[in-house]
Amino acid sequence: MDEPAVRINGKALIGQTGQSILELALANGIEIPNLCHDARLSPSGSCRLCLVEVEGQKGPVCACTLQIQPGMVVRAETEEIRAIRKTVLELLFYEHRGACTTCDENGNCKLQRYAYEYQLSDDVFEPPAGEERRENYTTGNEALEYEPGKCIRCGRCIRICEEVQADSALTFKARAASVEVTTAFDIPLNDSTCELCGQCISSCPTGALYERAAKGRGQCKDLLRTRTTCPYCGVGCQIDLNVNPKTDEIVRVTSEVGCIPNDGNLCVKGRFGMDFVTSGKRLAEPLIKRNGRFEKATWEEAIKFVAESLKRIRSGFGADSIAGLSSAKCTNEDNYVFQKFIRACIGTNNVDHCARLCHASTVAGLARAFGSGAMTNSIDELKNAGCIFVIGSNTTEAHPVIGLYIKEAVMKNGAELIVADPRKIDLVRFARLHIAQKPGTDVALINAMMNVIINEELHDKAFINERTEDFEKLKPVLKDFTPEKAEAITTIPAEKIHTAARLYAKAETASIIYSMGITQHTTGTDNVLSLANLAMLTGNVGAESTGVNPLRGQNNVQGACDLGALPNVYPGYQSVEDSQIQAKFESAWGQKLSGQKGLTVVEMMHAIEEDKIKALYIMGENPALSDPNLNRTRKALEKVDFLVSQDIFLSETAEYADVILPAVCFAEKDGTFTNTERRVQRVRKAVAPPGKARIDWEIICDVATQMGYPMSYEGADKIMDEIATVTPIYGGMSFERIDSVGLQWPCLDKEHPGTRFLHEGTFKRGKGKFHPVEFTAADELPNEDYPFVLSTGRQLYQFHTGTMTRKSAVINQVSPTGYVEIHPDDAAGLGISSGENVEVITRRGKVTTLARVTGNIEKGWLFMPFHFREGPANMLTNDALDPTAKIPEYKVCAAAVNKTKQPD
Amino acid sequence: MDDIERFRQELLSRRQEYKARVLICLTGCRALGAQGVAAKFRERLKSLSLEKQVPVVETGCIGICARAPVMLIEPYEYLYGGVSTEDIDEIISTTIQKGQTVERLAVIQDGKPAPRIKDINFYKKQTRLVLENCGRIDPRRIEDAIERGGYIAAVQAITQKKPQQIIEEVTESGLRGRGGAGFPTGLKWNFCRKSEGEQKYLICNADEGDPGAFMDRALLEGDPHRVIEGMIVAAFSIGAGQGFIYVRAEYPIAVEHINIALEQARSLGLLGDDIAGSGFGFDIQVRMGAGAFVCGEETALIVSLEGKRGMPNARPPFPAQKGYMGRPTNINNVETFANVPLVMKNGVDWYRARGTEKSKGTKIFALAGRVNNTGLVEVPMGTTLREIIYDIGGGIPKGRKFKAAQMGGPSGGCIPAKYLDTEIDYDSVQQMGAIMGSGGLIVMDENTCMVDIARYFLEFVQAESCGKCTPCRVGTKKMLQMLEAISRGEAKIEDLDYLQYLAEHIKKASLCGLGQTAPNPVLSTLRHFRDEYEEHIVLKTCRAAVCEALVRASCQHACPAGVNVPEYLALAAEGRLGEAANIIRRRNPFISVCGRVCDHPCEQRCRRSEIDHPLAIRALKRYIADNMDDYANLMARRVDKPAEVAIIGSGPAGLSCGYFLALMQRSSVIFEAQPIPGGMLALGIPEFRLPKETLQKEIDFILSHGIELRTNSRIEDAKELIDKGFKAVFVATGAQLGKAINIEGIELKGVLDALEFLRDRALGKGQDCDGKAVVVLGGGNVAVDAARSAVRLGAAKVTVLYRRTREEMPAYEEEIEEAIQEGIEIITLGIPKRILSRNSTVSGIEFIRAELGKAEADGRRRPVPVEGSESVIECDMVIPAIGQVASTEVVTFSGGPELTDWGTIKVDPVSRNTTISEIFSGGDCVSGPSSVIAAIASGQQAAVHIDRLLGGSGELPGDTGFSFVKPDEETLAKSPPRVEEKIIPLDKRKRGFAEVVLGLDREQAVCEAQRCLRCDLEES
Repeated sequence: MDEPAVRINGKALIGQTGQSILELALANGIEIPNLCHDARLSPSGSCRLCLVEVEGQKGPVCACTLQIQPGMVVRAETEEIRAIRKTVLELLFYEHRGACTTCDENGNCKLQRYAYEYQLSDDVFEPPAGEERRENYTTGNEALEYEPGKCIRCGRCIRICEEVQADSALTFKARAASVEVTTAFDIPLNDSTCELCGQCISSCPTGALYERAAKGRGQCKDLLRTRTTCPYCGVGCQIDLNVNPKTDEIVRVTSEVGCIPNDGNLCVKGRFGMDFVTSGKRLAEPLIKRNGRFEKATWEEAIKFVAESLKRIRSGFGADSIAGLSSAKCTNEDNYVFQKFIRACIGTNNVDHCARLCHASTVAGLARAFGSGAMTNSIDELKNAGCIFVIGSNTTEAHPVIGLYIKEAVMKNGAELIVADPRKIDLVRFARLHIAQKPGTDVALINAMMNVIINEELHDKAFINERTEDFEKLKPVLKDFTPEKAEAITTIPAEKIHTAARLYAKAETASIIYSMGITQHTTGTDNVLSLANLAMLTGNVGAESTGVNPLRGQNNVQGACDLGALPNVYPGYQSVEDSQIQAKFESAWGQKLSGQKGLTVVEMMHAIEEDKIKALYIMGENPALSDPNLNRTRKALEKVDFLVSQDIFLSETAEYADVILPAVCFAEKDGTFTNTERRVQRVRKAVAPPGKARIDWEIICDVATQMGYPMSYEGADKIMDEIATVTPIYGGMSFERIDSVGLQWPCLDKEHPGTRFLHEGTFKRGKGKFHPVEFTAADELPNEDYPFVLSTGRQLYQFHTGTMTRKSAVINQVSPTGYVEIHPDDAAGLGISSGENVEVITRRGKVTTLARVTGNIEKGWLFMPFHFREGPANMLTNDALDPTAKIPEYKVCAAAVNKTKQPD
Repeated sequence: MDDIERFRQELLSRRQEYKARVLICLTGCRALGAQGVAAKFRERLKSLSLEKQVPVVETGCIGICARAPVMLIEPYEYLYGGVSTEDIDEIISTTIQKGQTVERLAVIQDGKPAPRIKDINFYKKQTRLVLENCGRIDPRRIEDAIERGGYIAAVQAITQKKPQQIIEEVTESGLRGRGGAGFPTGLKWNFCRKSEGEQKYLICNADEGDPGAFMDRALLEGDPHRVIEGMIVAAFSIGAGQGFIYVRAEYPIAVEHINIALEQARSLGLLGDDIAGSGFGFDIQVRMGAGAFVCGEETALIVSLEGKRGMPNARPPFPAQKGYMGRPTNINNVETFANVPLVMKNGVDWYRARGTEKSKGTKIFALAGRVNNTGLVEVPMGTTLREIIYDIGGGIPKGRKFKAAQMGGPSGGCIPAKYLDTEIDYDSVQQMGAIMGSGGLIVMDENTCMVDIARYFLEFVQAESCGKCTPCRVGTKKMLQMLEAISRGEAKIEDLDYLQYLAEHIKKASLCGLGQTAPNPVLSTLRHFRDEYEEHIVLKTCRAAVCEALVRASCQHACPAGVNVPEYLALAAEGRLGEAANIIRRRNPFISVCGRVCDHPCEQRCRRSEIDHPLAIRALKRYIADNMDDYANLMARRVDKPAEVAIIGSGPAGLSCGYFLALMQRSSVIFEAQPIPGGMLALGIPEFRLPKETLQKEIDFILSHGIELRTNSRIEDAKELIDKGFKAVFVATGAQLGKAINIEGIELKGVLDALEFLRDRALGKGQDCDGKAVVVLGGGNVAVDAARSAVRLGAAKVTVLYRRTREEMPAYEEEIEEAIQEGIEIITLGIPKRILSRNSTVSGIEFIRAELGKAEADGRRRPVPVEGSESVIECDMVIPAIGQVASTEVVTFSGGPELTDWGTIKVDPVSRNTTISEIFSGGDCVSGPSSVIAAIASGQQAAVHIDRLLGGSGELPGDTGFSFVKPDEETLAKSPPRVEEKIIPLDKRKRGFAEVVLGLDREQAVCEAQRCLRCDLEES
C-alpha cells in the first residue's frame, strides 16, 4: 500500500502514498503541463492545465490535486485532454497582456513555453485594446513590480507568502475577471506584513512579478546562471546568479526548487542584497596611506610594503607581535591559506576571526559536553521535530530560511514550538509558548526546566545511563533550582517554566535552536553547557530531528573555524598545543610552528593597548564597527603600528589601515563555504572582479612569498585538496564531490557519505558529559543611572556591519537607519514617541538614534540592531569577556535613554 | 421523549379557544407594508376589545407572493391579498364578526372570487408538507412549532434509534439533496459517519444565491424549527457535536428568526450538552456569509466558515473526509434538513409514496417571472411544468405565449415548451438540459430573448466567479463577451460553434460546481433556441425586441419592414398626418392595407403593455391612412427608364419590391397572372376587412412611381425573363393553393377550397350560400374569412371545426370574436374524419372529439382523438382551410433555384437572393402563408439587394429626422386606457360586405398616440 503501482501514459510507475498524479509524473520525467504547481506549496488546482484522464473517472481530473491510488490508469495526452488544455491556454492569453518580446521573463516563462508546445495561434499574443496602467501595491516599491496584465492568477505568490513564508501579505482582491493580487486593503507592500523575501517572484510562473531593478537589464533567455552559495548568513542557501554576459552584471538572484538546503527559498538579503557586488564603492586598486592620505599603488608596491613592514616588526618584536584576523566571509580556501600564512610564514598562533564574537562559547561549551562544537543536526530535520525549543535566536530575522523550516514544522507537521526570548520576536506567532526571560538569565531558566523534568521523572534514564557521564554532579545544582526560584531571576512565571519543561521533555523528538542570545554573554559557555545538559537529560541528541543546534551567523563562520582561523587549533580543531599534531603540520607546511596558543579578537585589541601587538593583518573583517566597546577598539586600531586591511570596501576599519588591499567578493571567485549544518558547498565565479582586485588567498600567497615563505596554488580546488590531507573531518572533501550537492563533515575519506547528524551511537568525546552550571548574573546590571538592560542584535534586512546590505536600494528603502526598541510604558515615562531622536547612553559611550516604541519588548529592556555606522550600538556594548570562550557580552549591559532635542 | 410529548399536550390543553386567528405574513410581505397592516389590525381589535379573542399572528411566507401582503383568517380559511390598512375595518366587521368574506380582497379565479384557501388553484394543486407550518405559525415561538408536532420526531429518533438505523431510514426514504445536485442524503451522512475523527461538524447551507430563488429563505424565516430539527437528527446520525447554519447576511429576518429559534431550543434542552436526556450533545451556531455566490459551493463555504476568502478547493478530499478545520463535515441544504422530520415522523414508506421512482418527496419551487401567481410552491416530485405554471401559477400574464422555464438558476438551463408535460424530477430535468438546482423556476414568455437570458445568467456567474480557476474566471468572461457581441449583432455564425466548444471545455475543466455549470444557460439555450442566436447574428434582429443594441424601439424592431413607429405616432398625435404617412411609406407603401389587416407584431412587443395595454398601433396607422389626403405626392421621382427588373406576382411582396426599386430609381415591370393586381390582398382577404377601393388606391399610388403592371400575364418560367434581358427577377408568386385534406369524401360536390371560395367571390363569380349549412375546416384567418363570407353570402348556419383549442387558433382574436358575434359556431378539439354524402353531394361531416396530449416541439399539446367520440354535423358545404401551398412553378425549370424541404423557394434570409444570383424571391412562396407585413418586408429587402446587384448602393430613404422630447412620467401615468375602434352594427354586417371596422376618430387617435412611452428616445 505504501508504494502504489500506477500507469501514466502506458508507463508503469511506482509512487508513494499521498503523492499526486502530477508529482509522480514529474518525478518520472513525464511532463504534464502545469502553472499553479510549486513543489513547495500545497496543490490548488487552479490553473487547470494539468488535467488528465483517469480510467473510471467521468470527466478530466486535475493531476495536481488528485492523489494516486493503486492501479490507477492515467492518460495525460489524449486528444480531448490536449484540446481542453489548449482552450485553457488560450483563455490565459485572453487575460494575459504584454508580448514575450519585451518581457524580462522571456525564456523562463512556462506560459510562453506551453504556448509554443500547444501551437497557439499568433493572434492570442495580440494585446487587447489598451487598458490603462494603474497603480498597484508594488508601485514605488524598490524590490518588486507586479504587472496585473501578465498575471495568470495562479495564486502561487499568495500561497507561498502564506504557506511557506507565513507572512500572508498577499491576497486576491475582487472577483472573476477583475481578480488581482494585492495586499490587504491595497496598502503599499512595504506597509504590509511583507518581508520582501521575494518568494512570490520565485514562484511566479510568468513575468507578472519581477525584481523591479532587473527589468530591462536582460531577458531570462539571455542570462547565464551560475550556482553559488549565498554570502549572507550561515544557512548557506544555494543561489543562482543570473548574469547578463553583455554587461557582466548580476541582473537577478534566483534559486532552484529542490536544492539543498533552501529548496528554492531565499530571504530579502539573498534575493535583493547583491547590489554591493557592482557597487561603485568597491575597492579596485591597492592603496597605501601616505601622510595620512590613501594613495593608489601598484600591487607590487603594496605587497612589498606589507611584506617588509611585517618582516620589520617580526624581527623587531617577535612573531607574536603580529596578529591576523581572518574572515568568516571568506572562503574555506582563503581562511586556510590565511591561517597557514600567520602560522607558518609569520610564525605565531595569533589568528582569530569574528567567530570569537559569536560562537566561541558554543565551540567551548559543546566541545566540552559532546566533543564537537558544531550544530549537531541538519536543517531539514527541523521540520519533523516534535518540539522545537528556540532560545536566544531570532531565527526568522537572522536565519530566515531556517525560520521557514520551523514554521513548516509548526504549521504543517504540528510541532510544539517554545520560544524563549526577551522580545516578542516573529516566531512567537507560531509558538505554543513564549517565555520572555530577562536578558542574561538563561542558565536560571534552563536549570529550572531541568528541575521540573527530574522532579516529574521526565528524563531519559536509559540514555543518561548508557550515553552520558557525571549526571550525579548535575543533580545537586538543580535540586533547589525550582521554577519559582527561576521566576525571581528570569521574570518568567513559574507555570510557564513548568509548561516549557513538559513540552520539551515529553516530545518524541525535541530540537534546541539557539544563537547569539545564548552565546554573547560572559556566561556564554555556561549557557551552552546548560543546553547540552538539557538535551542529554531528555535523550534529545544523537538522533534525527533532535540535538543542540547553534545557528552560525555568517556565511562561512563554520568554515573559518573548521579551517583553523582560531588561535588555539589548526584546521579541523586540532590543538596547537598537541605536539604530535604540531609535528604533523610542521611537516606538511615545511616550517617550524609555535606551540603557544594565540590571542583572541578582543584580546588582540587589548594587547595593542599594552603594546604587545604591533601589527595587525585584517582580512575581510570590520572590528571598528563589530567589536564591543568601539571607542576602545578604535583607539587600538589607531594605535597599532601597522595595519593591513584586505577588503572589498573601504570599511570603518580600513580607514585606520596603512595599506588597503582590494579583494574580490564571493561572486568573483571559486571556493567553498561551510554552512551552519557543516555542509561544505561550492562558491563559483560568476562575474569579473572590479579593477585590479584580487582573490584573497592569492594576495596572501604573494605576501608570504615576498616574506620568504613561498606559497602558491593553481586554484582553489588544489587548496581544498591540501586541506583534505591535513584536516581529518574534511578528509573526503573535494570540489568534484561537492559539485552538485554539498557534503556535511565529518567526511573522513573519499568514500564517506558525510554526516547528517552528529553523535549517533556515541559522542565525539565518547560519553556525553554533564556540567553542573550555577547561575551567574551578567557583568553589568542596571542601576539608578543606567536603569535599562540593553541588548543588541540583528534585524532581517541588514547584515552585520552593513557594508554589503546597505548598498542595496531595496534594503535601504525598508531599513534606512538604526533605532532602539523601547516599551511603550518606558517611552511614555520618558516622553518619547516612535520616530523621535533619542540618546542611548552606557558607561562606554553615547549614541543618537531613533526610538521605536513597541510592545514586542518588555518593560525596562532595550534593543538595538548593530548594523548602522551612524548609530553604532557597539559604542555602548560591554567588552567584558566570557572567561572560557573570551566572547564579549554584547547581549547585556546597563543603559540609559534620553529624549534629545528634536531637530526643527 | 415523554417530556416533549407532555409539553406538547400541555400547550394544546392551554390553547385558548379563539374566535378567529389572523395570520399575516411578516417576512416577504413586509416589503409591501405587512407590518403596518398587522399593527393597525391589532390596534383596531384592541379598540373593539377583541384582541384576546382574535390574535394577530405574524407568520412566515403564506405562499402566494403575487398577492402580497397576504393574510389568512382562521378558522374560516379565508385568504386575502393586497390588504392595506384601509381594508381592516371591513375585514373585522365582515369576516371577524360575521364570518363572511370580503370578496374584493379574495383571489379572483375564472372571473369569480375564491376566498377559501382550499378553493384557490394556487394551493389546490400543491402538496405542502415541508411548508406545512410555514405561514401557520409564529416562527419566533417554539411553542407554536411544538404544538404542530415540531421536534417530536427528532427527540424520538435520538432517544429511540441508533445512528446507523436513522441513516438507513434516510437512505431508504430516497431523500436526495435539495441543494441542487440531488445526491442521496443517507449516503452522504454515511460517508461522514464512517469517516475517522473524533470531532465532526454539520453545516446547513443557507447560502441561497440563485437569482429568483427564495425557498431556503422562506423556510428559515417561516419555520426555522423544522430545519433545526432536521439538523439534530443528522448530527446524531453522523456523530457531529457542532453545527453551523451558514446564511447570507442579506437575509436579516432569517438570521433573526434562526437565532431566536436556537435560543428557544437551547432553553428547552433541545440543543446543548444533553439533548432531551439522550446523552447526545449538539449545538448550532449561525454564521453569516457576505453574499458571494460561490460560497454556496460546499468547499468554498467551508473555507469561508473558517474565516478565509471563500474560494473552492478540489475534491477529493470531500468534506466528509476533510471539511471544516480539516475534520469530517457534512453539509446539507436547508430544504434537505427540513425534509428529515417528515421521514422520521411518517416513516420510510410514507415518504417513498410521494414523488417519482428516483426522486422522492416534494420539492419547493420559487415560482417567478412571467407567470400570474408568483410565489412559493411545493409539489410532489413528478409534477409537470405545465401543472406548476398553468394550474398553480395561473398561466402567463396578458395571454402571451410560454417560451421557456429557467430552472436551477445560473447553473441551470432553459427548458423549452416541448417539455411542458414532462414530469419533473432530478433526472428528467437534467435530461432536458437544466438542473433541479435549489428550486428557482423562472417563467419566460415570447417577450423574452433567449440570447439575452443566457447573457444575463452568464453575466451573473461571471461577476460571481471567485477567479480561482482559469476556465471559470476567463472562460466565462470570454463567453460573456461573445454573447454581448451576438446580442449586438456583431458576431459571426461560426462563433456559435466555438461558443459551444468553449462552453463544453469550461464545464469539463473548471474546478468547482460554479464553473462546471456556469455554461449551462448558454448550452441549454443554444440547444433549444439556436434559431434565436442565428437571427441575432444573421438578421441582426431580436425577435423579443430586447437586445438593446439591435433595438431602437421594440415596436420598430418587431416590424419586419422596420417602420419607425414611434415617430409616426408622435406626428399623428400632433395632427401632422401627411408627415406621419411619409414616415411610414419610407418602409411600407401599404398604409391603408396594414392599418386594417396587419398582424401588428409591433403591438405584441409594445412596452406599454408592461404597464397596461399595448398601443393600438394598427388602428392609428389606419387613422392616418383614412384621414390624410396625400395620394398624389410621390415618395420619389417617377422612374421613366426601360424596366431592368421583372417581378412575378403583384401581391404585397411584388408590389413592395417594385415600389422600393422605384424609390431607388430602378424601373420594373410586374407580371400578374390574374386579371386584377394585389394577390392575396385582393383575392384572399374579403372586402369587409379590406375594401376594394382602399386597396386599389394604394396599388395605384405604388404604380404611379413608374412601375409597369401587366395583368393576365402568366409567366411560365422565370428564366425566360432573364433571357429577355431583365437584369434581375423577383419571384413573388405567393401560396395560392389550398393544402389538400386527405379524408374520405373530399371529391364530393359541395366541397370547396377556402382560397378558391374567397377568390371566386373577389372576382365576382362567387356562388351564393343561400340557406345552406356550411362547415369550414381550420382555424386560421382564411378559415374565419371564409366562414364570415359564407354568412354574408346567405348561409343559414356556419360552423368552424378546428382540431385544437380556441387559444391556439391562428386567426386574429378580434376576427374570431366578430365571427362569433355574427353567429358562427366554433367547434374546437374536433378532428374531421370523413365527409358524408347523399346523392354524391355533401350531406354532413363526421368528426371525432380530441383531447390534449403531450406537448409538441412548439409547446402546443397534440390533439389526440378520443375513441368513440365521433359525431356528425349535417351540412351542405364543406370548406377546407387547413393550409396553403407555395406556388413555385416559375422556378422549377432545370438548373433553377433550389427549393426547401417544405417546398418553398430557398433564399438567403438577408438578401432574399435565391440560389441563382439574378433571381430573388419573397412573400408566401418563400415563407409559406404568412403576414402581409412579412411579404412587404421581403419585397423591401429584395429591392435593396437587387439594387446592390445592379450596382446601386441599396440605400433606402432615411426614416428619422424629427426631434422629439420624451414625455415625462407624469403625463404617461395620466394616459387614458387603450382605445377601441368602432365597428358597424351586427345586422349590417350580415347583410353585405361592408367594412366592419370603422376606425378611430380624431380625439381617440390623439389620446392613443400620446400613450406611447417613446422607448426610442431612451438613452441606453
